[in-house]
Amino acid sequence: MMDYASMQFAPTEVPVEHHSHGGWEPYVDNGGTSLAIAGKDFVIVAADARQSDGYSINSRYDPKAFVLSNQTVIATTGYAADAKRLVEVMEQNAQTYFHKHDRAMGTTAMAQLMSNTLYYKRFFPYYVFPILAGLDKEGNGAVFSYDPVGNMERVVYLACGSASALVQPFLDNQVGGANQRGHEGGFLDRATARKIAIDAFTSATERDIHTGDWLDLFTIDRTGIHREKRELKHD
Amino acid sequence: MFLTRSEYDRGVNTFSPEGRLFQVEYAIEAIKLGSTAIGIRTNEGVILAVEKRVTSPLLVADSIEKILEIDRHVACAMSGLTADSRTMIEHARVEAQNHTFAYEEPIPVESVTQAVCDLALRFGEGADGQESTMSRPFGVALLIAGVDERGPQLYNTDPSGTFWRYEAKAIGAGSEGAQTELQEQYHRDITMGEAEVLALKVLKQVMEEKLSNTNVQLARVTQETGYTIYTKDELQSVISRM
Repeated sequence: MMDYASMQFAPTEVPVEHHSHGGWEPYVDNGGTSLAIAGKDFVIVAADARQSDGYSINSRYDPKAFVLSNQTVIATTGYAADAKRLVEVMEQNAQTYFHKHDRAMGTTAMAQLMSNTLYYKRFFPYYVFPILAGLDKEGNGAVFSYDPVGNMERVVYLACGSASALVQPFLDNQVGGANQRGHEGGFLDRATARKIAIDAFTSATERDIHTGDWLDLFTIDRTGIHREKRELKHD
Repeated sequence: MFLTRSEYDRGVNTFSPEGRLFQVEYAIEAIKLGSTAIGIRTNEGVILAVEKRVTSPLLVADSIEKILEIDRHVACAMSGLTADSRTMIEHARVEAQNHTFAYEEPIPVESVTQAVCDLALRFGEGADGQESTMSRPFGVALLIAGVDERGPQLYNTDPSGTFWRYEAKAIGAGSEGAQTELQEQYHRDITMGEAEVLALKVLKQVMEEKLSNTNVQLARVTQETGYTIYTKDELQSVISRM
Protein backbone atom coordinates (compact mmCIF):
# COMPACT_ATOMS: atom_id res chain seq x y z
CA MET A 1 0.00 0.00 0.00
CA MET A 2 1.29 3.41 -0.87
CA ASP A 3 1.58 5.85 2.00
CA TYR A 4 -0.25 8.77 0.42
CA ALA A 5 -0.50 10.65 3.72
CA SER A 6 3.25 11.12 4.09
CA MET A 7 3.63 12.14 0.51
CA GLN A 8 1.63 15.27 1.20
CA PHE A 9 4.53 16.62 3.20
CA ALA A 10 7.08 16.05 0.49
CA PRO A 11 8.37 19.34 -0.92
CA THR A 12 6.65 20.14 -4.14
CA GLU A 13 8.96 20.47 -7.12
CA VAL A 14 7.87 22.63 -9.99
CA PRO A 15 9.15 21.37 -13.32
CA VAL A 16 11.79 23.83 -14.38
CA GLU A 17 13.53 24.03 -17.70
CA HIS A 18 17.25 24.11 -17.02
CA HIS A 19 18.73 26.61 -19.37
CA SER A 20 22.50 26.51 -19.40
CA HIS A 21 23.80 29.99 -18.81
CA GLY A 22 27.30 30.15 -20.22
CA GLY A 23 27.68 26.39 -19.86
CA TRP A 24 30.22 24.88 -22.19
CA GLU A 25 28.68 23.20 -25.23
CA PRO A 26 31.52 22.26 -27.48
CA TYR A 27 29.44 20.57 -30.16
CA VAL A 28 26.89 21.73 -32.73
CA ASP A 29 25.19 19.63 -35.39
CA ASN A 30 25.40 21.63 -38.61
CA GLY A 31 23.42 19.09 -40.61
CA GLY A 32 24.04 18.26 -44.22
CA THR A 33 24.27 14.99 -46.08
CA SER A 34 27.01 13.13 -47.93
CA LEU A 35 27.20 9.89 -49.88
CA ALA A 36 29.62 7.77 -51.87
CA ILE A 37 29.11 4.96 -54.35
CA ALA A 38 31.98 2.72 -55.47
CA GLY A 39 32.15 1.35 -58.99
CA LYS A 40 34.55 -1.16 -60.45
CA ASP A 41 37.05 1.46 -61.65
CA PHE A 42 35.51 4.68 -60.33
CA VAL A 43 33.87 6.14 -57.28
CA ILE A 44 31.29 8.88 -56.87
CA VAL A 45 31.20 11.23 -53.90
CA ALA A 46 28.44 13.77 -53.33
CA ALA A 47 27.70 16.23 -50.54
CA ASP A 48 25.33 19.15 -50.21
CA ALA A 49 26.69 22.53 -49.17
CA ARG A 50 24.07 23.90 -46.78
CA GLN A 51 25.32 24.66 -43.30
CA SER A 52 22.57 25.04 -40.72
CA ASP A 53 22.09 25.44 -36.99
CA GLY A 54 18.61 24.38 -35.97
CA TYR A 55 16.09 26.27 -38.12
CA SER A 56 18.71 28.82 -39.22
CA ILE A 57 20.84 28.53 -42.30
CA ASN A 58 24.39 29.74 -41.60
CA SER A 59 25.54 29.37 -45.17
CA ARG A 60 24.08 28.21 -48.48
CA TYR A 61 27.49 27.30 -49.79
CA ASP A 62 29.93 25.89 -47.27
CA PRO A 63 31.43 22.84 -48.96
CA LYS A 64 31.92 19.71 -46.86
CA ALA A 65 33.65 17.49 -49.42
CA PHE A 66 37.33 18.06 -50.14
CA VAL A 67 39.96 16.69 -52.48
CA LEU A 68 42.85 15.15 -50.50
CA SER A 69 44.89 13.81 -53.43
CA ASN A 70 44.38 13.16 -57.12
CA GLN A 71 42.60 9.93 -56.23
CA THR A 72 40.99 10.54 -52.84
CA VAL A 73 38.10 12.71 -51.61
CA ILE A 74 36.77 13.18 -48.08
CA ALA A 75 33.13 14.10 -47.42
CA THR A 76 32.07 15.18 -43.94
CA THR A 77 28.88 15.78 -41.97
CA GLY A 78 28.25 16.68 -38.35
CA TYR A 79 29.95 19.64 -36.68
CA ALA A 80 31.36 21.90 -39.40
CA ALA A 81 34.21 23.32 -37.29
CA ASP A 82 35.46 19.87 -36.32
CA ALA A 83 35.08 18.71 -39.92
CA LYS A 84 37.20 21.62 -41.10
CA ARG A 85 39.91 20.78 -38.57
CA LEU A 86 39.84 17.08 -39.47
CA VAL A 87 40.27 17.91 -43.14
CA GLU A 88 43.17 20.26 -42.33
CA VAL A 89 44.90 17.54 -40.33
CA MET A 90 44.43 15.07 -43.17
CA GLU A 91 45.75 17.57 -45.72
CA GLN A 92 48.80 18.33 -43.60
CA ASN A 93 49.52 14.63 -43.17
CA ALA A 94 49.12 13.98 -46.88
CA GLN A 95 51.62 16.74 -47.65
CA THR A 96 54.13 15.52 -45.05
CA TYR A 97 53.81 11.99 -46.39
CA PHE A 98 54.45 13.24 -49.92
CA HIS A 99 57.67 14.96 -48.88
CA LYS A 100 58.86 12.14 -46.66
CA HIS A 101 58.21 9.23 -49.02
CA ASP A 102 58.39 10.98 -52.39
CA ARG A 103 54.97 9.73 -53.45
CA ALA A 104 51.32 10.58 -52.89
CA MET A 105 49.52 8.80 -50.07
CA GLY A 106 47.21 6.10 -51.42
CA THR A 107 43.52 5.86 -50.57
CA THR A 108 43.89 2.85 -48.26
CA ALA A 109 46.80 4.50 -46.43
CA MET A 110 44.67 7.61 -45.97
CA ALA A 111 41.80 5.45 -44.75
CA GLN A 112 43.97 3.95 -42.01
CA LEU A 113 45.45 7.35 -41.17
CA MET A 114 41.98 8.83 -40.72
CA SER A 115 40.95 6.01 -38.40
CA ASN A 116 44.05 6.74 -36.29
CA THR A 117 43.49 10.51 -36.45
CA LEU A 118 39.95 10.08 -35.13
CA TYR A 119 40.95 7.60 -32.44
CA TYR A 120 43.73 9.88 -31.14
CA LYS A 121 40.86 12.11 -30.03
CA ARG A 122 38.95 9.19 -28.49
CA PHE A 123 38.12 11.18 -25.33
CA PHE A 124 37.22 14.50 -26.98
CA PRO A 125 36.22 13.33 -30.43
CA TYR A 126 35.80 15.28 -33.63
CA TYR A 127 31.99 15.30 -33.95
CA VAL A 128 32.23 14.30 -37.59
CA PHE A 129 30.89 11.42 -39.66
CA PRO A 130 33.41 11.27 -42.47
CA ILE A 131 33.34 9.28 -45.69
CA LEU A 132 36.64 8.64 -47.43
CA ALA A 133 36.42 7.59 -51.07
CA GLY A 134 38.88 7.02 -53.86
CA LEU A 135 40.66 4.40 -55.90
CA ASP A 136 42.68 1.70 -54.17
CA LYS A 137 46.07 0.38 -55.35
CA GLU A 138 44.38 -1.90 -57.89
CA GLY A 139 42.35 1.00 -59.31
CA ASN A 140 39.07 -0.24 -57.84
CA GLY A 141 36.53 2.14 -56.30
CA ALA A 142 36.87 2.24 -52.51
CA VAL A 143 34.54 3.77 -49.91
CA PHE A 144 35.41 3.88 -46.21
CA SER A 145 32.87 4.46 -43.48
CA TYR A 146 33.74 5.87 -40.03
CA ASP A 147 32.18 6.80 -36.75
CA PRO A 148 33.52 9.82 -34.81
CA VAL A 149 36.02 7.73 -32.80
CA GLY A 150 37.61 5.97 -35.75
CA ASN A 151 35.80 2.68 -36.26
CA MET A 152 36.37 1.98 -39.94
CA GLU A 153 34.75 -0.27 -42.50
CA ARG A 154 35.24 -0.58 -46.24
CA VAL A 155 31.85 -0.55 -47.96
CA VAL A 156 30.49 -0.29 -51.51
CA TYR A 157 28.12 2.62 -50.91
CA LEU A 158 27.22 4.80 -47.97
CA ALA A 159 25.16 7.79 -46.88
CA CYS A 160 25.94 9.96 -43.86
CA GLY A 161 24.46 13.00 -42.17
CA SER A 162 21.08 14.58 -41.49
CA ALA A 163 19.28 12.80 -44.37
CA SER A 164 21.16 9.51 -44.05
CA ALA A 165 18.00 7.83 -42.72
CA LEU A 166 16.33 8.76 -46.02
CA VAL A 167 19.23 8.17 -48.40
CA GLN A 168 20.77 4.96 -47.01
CA PRO A 169 17.65 2.81 -47.59
CA PHE A 170 17.34 4.31 -51.05
CA LEU A 171 20.93 3.27 -51.80
CA ASP A 172 20.34 -0.14 -50.19
CA ASN A 173 17.60 -0.65 -52.73
CA GLN A 174 19.05 1.01 -55.82
CA VAL A 175 22.76 0.19 -55.39
CA GLY A 176 22.72 -2.82 -53.07
CA GLY A 177 19.65 -4.38 -54.72
CA ALA A 178 17.89 -4.92 -51.38
CA ASN A 179 14.31 -6.21 -51.75
CA GLN A 180 14.63 -6.42 -55.52
CA ARG A 181 13.67 -9.75 -57.02
CA GLY A 182 16.23 -11.06 -59.49
CA HIS A 183 18.79 -8.35 -58.79
CA GLU A 184 22.01 -9.11 -60.63
CA GLY A 185 24.47 -7.72 -58.07
CA GLY A 186 27.88 -6.36 -58.98
CA PHE A 187 28.96 -2.76 -59.45
CA LEU A 188 26.89 -0.02 -61.10
CA ASP A 189 28.09 1.70 -64.25
CA ARG A 190 29.18 5.28 -63.94
CA ALA A 191 26.17 7.01 -65.50
CA THR A 192 23.71 5.07 -63.32
CA ALA A 193 25.70 5.67 -60.14
CA ARG A 194 25.87 9.40 -60.87
CA LYS A 195 22.14 9.56 -61.60
CA ILE A 196 21.30 7.75 -58.35
CA ALA A 197 23.55 10.12 -56.39
CA ILE A 198 21.79 13.16 -57.86
CA ASP A 199 18.29 11.68 -57.37
CA ALA A 200 19.16 10.86 -53.75
CA PHE A 201 19.97 14.50 -53.07
CA THR A 202 16.96 15.90 -54.96
CA SER A 203 14.71 13.76 -52.77
CA ALA A 204 16.65 14.38 -49.56
CA THR A 205 16.34 18.13 -50.18
CA GLU A 206 12.53 17.75 -50.38
CA ARG A 207 12.20 16.04 -46.99
CA ASP A 208 15.17 17.18 -44.89
CA ILE A 209 15.37 20.86 -43.92
CA HIS A 210 19.12 20.62 -43.28
CA THR A 211 19.95 19.42 -46.79
CA GLY A 212 19.83 21.59 -49.90
CA ASP A 213 21.14 24.66 -51.76
CA TRP A 214 24.08 23.15 -53.68
CA LEU A 215 25.51 19.75 -54.46
CA ASP A 216 29.23 19.08 -54.87
CA LEU A 217 29.64 15.94 -56.91
CA PHE A 218 32.99 14.25 -57.52
CA THR A 219 33.71 11.41 -59.92
CA ILE A 220 37.10 9.82 -59.29
CA ASP A 221 38.65 7.56 -61.91
CA ARG A 222 42.02 6.63 -63.38
CA THR A 223 42.27 10.02 -65.10
CA GLY A 224 41.74 12.02 -61.90
CA ILE A 225 38.94 13.80 -60.07
CA HIS A 226 36.10 15.38 -62.01
CA ARG A 227 34.10 17.93 -60.04
CA GLU A 228 30.61 19.24 -60.71
CA LYS A 229 28.63 21.83 -58.76
CA ARG A 230 24.85 21.37 -59.15
CA GLU A 231 21.94 23.37 -57.82
CA LEU A 232 19.55 21.93 -55.25
CA LYS A 233 16.37 23.61 -54.03
CA HIS A 234 17.06 26.64 -51.83
CA ASP A 235 13.87 26.44 -49.70
CA MET B 1 99.24 12.83 -38.81
CA PHE B 2 97.39 12.33 -35.53
CA LEU B 3 99.37 15.05 -33.73
CA THR B 4 98.19 17.77 -36.07
CA ARG B 5 94.56 16.60 -35.79
CA SER B 6 94.42 16.40 -32.01
CA GLU B 7 92.86 19.86 -31.48
CA TYR B 8 89.79 18.88 -33.44
CA ASP B 9 89.55 15.30 -32.21
CA ARG B 10 88.05 16.48 -28.95
CA GLY B 11 84.55 17.60 -29.90
CA VAL B 12 82.69 15.06 -32.02
CA ASN B 13 80.83 17.86 -33.76
CA THR B 14 83.69 20.29 -34.23
CA PHE B 15 84.82 21.02 -37.76
CA SER B 16 88.56 21.18 -38.39
CA PRO B 17 89.85 24.27 -40.24
CA GLU B 18 89.92 22.14 -43.41
CA GLY B 19 86.22 21.50 -42.92
CA ARG B 20 86.33 17.94 -41.69
CA LEU B 21 84.70 16.05 -38.85
CA PHE B 22 87.45 13.72 -37.73
CA GLN B 23 85.34 11.51 -35.46
CA VAL B 24 82.99 10.80 -38.33
CA GLU B 25 85.93 10.01 -40.58
CA TYR B 26 87.41 7.67 -37.97
CA ALA B 27 84.07 5.92 -37.68
CA ILE B 28 84.13 5.36 -41.43
CA GLU B 29 87.63 3.93 -40.97
CA ALA B 30 86.30 1.62 -38.25
CA ILE B 31 84.04 -0.10 -40.76
CA LYS B 32 87.02 -1.06 -42.84
CA LEU B 33 88.04 -3.30 -39.93
CA GLY B 34 84.68 -5.08 -39.88
CA SER B 35 83.83 -8.39 -41.53
CA THR B 36 82.97 -8.25 -45.22
CA ALA B 37 79.33 -7.99 -46.29
CA ILE B 38 77.99 -8.09 -49.83
CA GLY B 39 74.68 -7.13 -51.40
CA ILE B 40 73.59 -7.83 -54.97
CA ARG B 41 70.38 -6.51 -56.51
CA THR B 42 68.62 -8.48 -59.23
CA ASN B 43 65.32 -7.91 -60.98
CA GLU B 44 63.74 -10.69 -58.88
CA GLY B 45 65.09 -9.63 -55.50
CA VAL B 46 68.18 -8.83 -53.47
CA ILE B 47 70.89 -11.16 -52.12
CA LEU B 48 72.83 -10.39 -48.94
CA ALA B 49 75.95 -12.33 -47.93
CA VAL B 50 78.26 -11.86 -44.96
CA GLU B 51 81.34 -13.55 -43.60
CA LYS B 52 81.33 -14.60 -39.97
CA ARG B 53 84.68 -14.46 -38.24
CA VAL B 54 84.73 -17.63 -36.19
CA THR B 55 87.78 -16.67 -34.16
CA SER B 56 87.88 -19.80 -32.01
CA PRO B 57 86.84 -23.41 -32.50
CA LEU B 58 85.00 -23.05 -29.20
CA LEU B 59 82.92 -20.14 -30.49
CA VAL B 60 79.37 -21.09 -31.40
CA ALA B 61 79.14 -19.81 -34.98
CA ASP B 62 75.34 -19.65 -34.90
CA SER B 63 75.55 -16.96 -32.21
CA ILE B 64 77.00 -14.51 -34.72
CA GLU B 65 74.18 -12.72 -36.50
CA LYS B 66 75.14 -10.19 -39.13
CA ILE B 67 72.04 -10.31 -41.34
CA LEU B 68 68.86 -9.16 -39.64
CA GLU B 69 65.22 -8.68 -40.54
CA ILE B 70 63.86 -5.13 -40.32
CA ASP B 71 60.40 -5.90 -41.67
CA ARG B 72 58.97 -8.71 -43.78
CA HIS B 73 60.13 -6.91 -46.92
CA VAL B 74 63.37 -5.31 -45.67
CA ALA B 75 66.56 -6.91 -44.36
CA CYS B 76 69.97 -5.61 -43.49
CA ALA B 77 73.56 -6.83 -43.44
CA MET B 78 76.04 -5.04 -41.18
CA SER B 79 79.73 -4.48 -40.87
CA GLY B 80 81.52 -2.75 -38.02
CA LEU B 81 80.60 -2.59 -34.34
CA THR B 82 77.85 -5.18 -33.83
CA ALA B 83 76.61 -3.50 -30.65
CA ASP B 84 76.09 -0.18 -32.46
CA SER B 85 74.15 -1.90 -35.21
CA ARG B 86 71.59 -3.14 -32.69
CA THR B 87 70.56 0.44 -31.88
CA MET B 88 70.21 1.30 -35.56
CA ILE B 89 68.30 -1.84 -36.48
CA GLU B 90 65.99 -1.43 -33.50
CA HIS B 91 65.28 2.10 -34.75
CA ALA B 92 64.63 0.83 -38.27
CA ARG B 93 62.25 -1.85 -36.97
CA VAL B 94 60.30 0.66 -34.90
CA GLU B 95 60.04 3.05 -37.87
CA ALA B 96 58.79 0.21 -40.08
CA GLN B 97 56.16 -0.86 -37.55
CA ASN B 98 55.05 2.74 -36.96
CA HIS B 99 54.55 3.19 -40.68
CA THR B 100 52.44 0.04 -40.93
CA PHE B 101 50.42 1.13 -37.90
CA ALA B 102 49.76 4.59 -39.32
CA TYR B 103 49.10 3.71 -42.96
CA GLU B 104 48.40 -0.05 -43.06
CA GLU B 105 51.07 -0.53 -45.73
CA PRO B 106 54.72 -1.61 -45.73
CA ILE B 107 57.22 1.23 -45.37
CA PRO B 108 59.13 2.13 -48.56
CA VAL B 109 62.70 0.80 -48.52
CA GLU B 110 64.20 4.24 -49.07
CA SER B 111 62.23 5.61 -46.11
CA VAL B 112 63.67 2.94 -43.78
CA THR B 113 67.13 3.85 -45.04
CA GLN B 114 66.49 7.55 -44.52
CA ALA B 115 65.21 6.86 -40.99
CA VAL B 116 68.40 4.99 -40.11
CA CYS B 117 70.53 7.78 -41.55
CA ASP B 118 68.61 10.41 -39.57
CA LEU B 119 69.68 8.51 -36.45
CA ALA B 120 73.31 8.30 -37.57
CA LEU B 121 73.98 11.98 -37.01
CA ARG B 122 72.19 12.25 -33.68
CA PHE B 123 75.39 12.05 -31.67
CA GLY B 124 77.28 14.63 -29.63
CA GLU B 125 75.59 17.27 -27.54
CA GLY B 126 72.27 17.44 -29.33
CA ALA B 127 70.74 20.66 -30.61
CA ASP B 128 68.25 22.88 -28.68
CA GLY B 129 69.23 21.38 -25.35
CA GLN B 130 67.83 18.00 -26.40
CA GLU B 131 69.58 15.08 -24.78
CA SER B 132 71.36 12.96 -27.33
CA THR B 133 71.56 9.23 -26.64
CA MET B 134 74.82 8.65 -28.49
CA SER B 135 78.07 10.40 -27.57
CA ARG B 136 79.94 9.36 -30.73
CA PRO B 137 79.13 8.36 -34.30
CA PHE B 138 77.94 4.80 -34.92
CA GLY B 139 80.78 2.58 -36.09
CA VAL B 140 78.56 0.68 -38.49
CA ALA B 141 77.89 0.48 -42.19
CA LEU B 142 74.71 -1.20 -43.35
CA LEU B 143 73.53 -2.83 -46.54
CA ILE B 144 69.76 -2.43 -46.56
CA ALA B 145 67.95 -4.72 -48.97
CA GLY B 146 64.25 -4.56 -49.64
CA VAL B 147 61.37 -4.73 -52.05
CA ASP B 148 58.46 -2.33 -52.51
CA GLU B 149 56.40 -1.02 -55.42
CA ARG B 150 59.58 0.43 -56.90
CA GLY B 151 60.99 -3.10 -57.10
CA PRO B 152 64.03 -4.65 -55.42
CA GLN B 153 66.46 -2.10 -53.98
CA LEU B 154 69.84 -2.13 -52.25
CA TYR B 155 71.12 0.76 -50.14
CA ASN B 156 74.39 1.37 -48.34
CA THR B 157 74.60 3.63 -45.29
CA ASP B 158 77.73 4.85 -43.51
CA PRO B 159 78.45 6.58 -40.16
CA SER B 160 78.15 10.03 -41.72
CA GLY B 161 74.44 9.44 -42.27
CA THR B 162 74.81 9.39 -46.02
CA PHE B 163 73.20 6.68 -48.12
CA TRP B 164 73.61 5.53 -51.69
CA ARG B 165 71.66 3.11 -53.84
CA TYR B 166 73.66 0.31 -55.44
CA GLU B 167 73.23 -2.55 -57.87
CA ALA B 168 75.94 -4.40 -56.00
CA LYS B 169 78.01 -3.31 -53.03
CA ALA B 170 80.63 -4.68 -50.67
CA ILE B 171 81.46 -3.22 -47.25
CA GLY B 172 83.94 -4.15 -44.54
CA ALA B 173 87.57 -5.33 -44.46
CA GLY B 174 87.54 -7.00 -47.87
CA SER B 175 85.34 -4.38 -49.52
CA GLU B 176 87.92 -2.96 -51.92
CA GLY B 177 88.78 -6.27 -53.53
CA ALA B 178 85.20 -7.46 -53.38
CA GLN B 179 83.83 -4.29 -54.98
CA THR B 180 86.27 -4.56 -57.88
CA GLU B 181 85.21 -8.16 -58.41
CA LEU B 182 81.51 -7.25 -58.24
CA GLN B 183 82.05 -4.50 -60.79
CA GLU B 184 83.55 -7.01 -63.18
CA GLN B 185 81.01 -9.76 -62.64
CA TYR B 186 77.73 -7.86 -62.21
CA HIS B 187 75.39 -7.46 -65.14
CA ARG B 188 71.92 -5.95 -65.16
CA ASP B 189 70.02 -9.13 -65.97
CA ILE B 190 71.73 -11.28 -63.36
CA THR B 191 69.39 -13.90 -61.88
CA MET B 192 68.92 -14.69 -58.19
CA GLY B 193 70.66 -18.05 -58.72
CA GLU B 194 73.66 -16.34 -60.31
CA ALA B 195 73.70 -13.63 -57.64
CA GLU B 196 73.79 -16.22 -54.81
CA VAL B 197 76.82 -17.87 -56.35
CA LEU B 198 78.52 -14.57 -57.20
CA ALA B 199 78.07 -13.28 -53.64
CA LEU B 200 79.70 -16.39 -52.17
CA LYS B 201 82.48 -16.47 -54.79
CA VAL B 202 83.42 -12.87 -54.04
CA LEU B 203 83.27 -13.51 -50.30
CA LYS B 204 85.47 -16.56 -50.70
CA GLN B 205 88.13 -14.47 -52.45
CA VAL B 206 88.38 -11.94 -49.65
CA MET B 207 87.94 -14.24 -46.66
CA GLU B 208 90.90 -15.42 -44.65
CA GLU B 209 89.21 -18.60 -43.47
CA LYS B 210 88.02 -21.29 -45.85
CA LEU B 211 84.41 -20.60 -46.77
CA SER B 212 81.91 -23.13 -45.38
CA ASN B 213 78.24 -23.28 -44.45
CA THR B 214 79.12 -22.25 -40.90
CA ASN B 215 81.22 -19.14 -41.50
CA VAL B 216 78.98 -17.29 -43.96
CA GLN B 217 75.37 -16.14 -43.88
CA LEU B 218 73.21 -15.74 -46.95
CA ALA B 219 69.77 -14.16 -47.22
CA ARG B 220 67.38 -13.04 -49.91
CA VAL B 221 64.55 -10.53 -50.09
CA THR B 222 61.99 -11.07 -52.85
CA GLN B 223 58.60 -9.60 -53.69
CA GLU B 224 56.88 -12.98 -53.22
CA THR B 225 58.42 -14.32 -50.01
CA GLY B 226 60.00 -11.25 -48.41
CA TYR B 227 63.03 -11.81 -46.20
CA THR B 228 64.42 -15.35 -45.99
CA ILE B 229 67.68 -16.45 -44.42
CA TYR B 230 69.27 -19.55 -45.93
CA THR B 231 69.46 -22.67 -43.78
CA LYS B 232 72.71 -24.61 -43.54
CA ASP B 233 71.43 -27.07 -46.15
CA GLU B 234 70.32 -24.33 -48.56
CA LEU B 235 73.68 -22.63 -48.06
CA GLN B 236 75.48 -25.90 -48.78
CA SER B 237 73.57 -26.35 -52.02
CA VAL B 238 74.65 -22.84 -53.15
CA ILE B 239 78.26 -23.63 -52.16
CA SER B 240 78.11 -26.80 -54.25
CA ARG B 241 77.09 -24.70 -57.27
CA MET B 242 80.15 -22.45 -56.94
